[in-house]
Amino acid sequence: MSFCRKMTPLQQRTMRLMGVAMLLTVVTNFSTPGLANPLVDLFPALGRIVTPHASVPVAMLMAAISVLPIVMVAWIAWRYLSAEPDEFVRALVMRALLWAFAVTMVGNAVTAVLMNVYHLAFPLTVLDADLFFIGGGVAFRVLQWSYR
Amino acid sequence: MKNRLRELRAERNWSQADLASQLGVSRQSVNAVETGRFDPSLPLAFRLAKVFGLAIESIFYE
Repeated sequence: MSFCRKMTPLQQRTMRLMGVAMLLTVVTNFSTPGLANPLVDLFPALGRIVTPHASVPVAMLMAAISVLPIVMVAWIAWRYLSAEPDEFVRALVMRALLWAFAVTMVGNAVTAVLMNVYHLAFPLTVLDADLFFIGGGVAFRVLQWSYR
Repeated sequence: MKNRLRELRAERNWSQADLASQLGVSRQSVNAVETGRFDPSLPLAFRLAKVFGLAIESIFYE
């Protein structure tokens, strides 16, 4: 049941779902019109909807859609933590998630200041997702390595 | 909290992986408990006691 070399079926399912969540993050990212978005490529009309002239309900709908990957990640984490039988692995995952949140908040704060100083638009949503997934993965590996 | 896991495991000639498979946890879990860096929950402590055929207080002490 080594978590490092071979994953349990539950862990494999969780990793696959995380992959779907990462894809969903890209697909539902409407924060930067210049950024490639497969959903807008498939449905070009969406690109015309997401403009500063969009009506309030449409803007709210787009904002709500961008929340979907976050809700999905929270659901995946909850589902995994409630099903994982190994309490030590659960503790490691919890700590890795806290590190992922910390890394994401730091990245967000730094980027927000730089955006403000240089008046640059940056796809924060995608950056947050990348930081969260990468930060969480690296933190888990480091924590696991410390208990090898 | 200290424990006698390493000693008890050595007496039975079990590896950490052997004990882990009997407990249904990862080898890292056994290592973390054994080195005192992770305190097991009561259910896991009971499982350990059952595997070794001992009382919890004869495995864990302060």
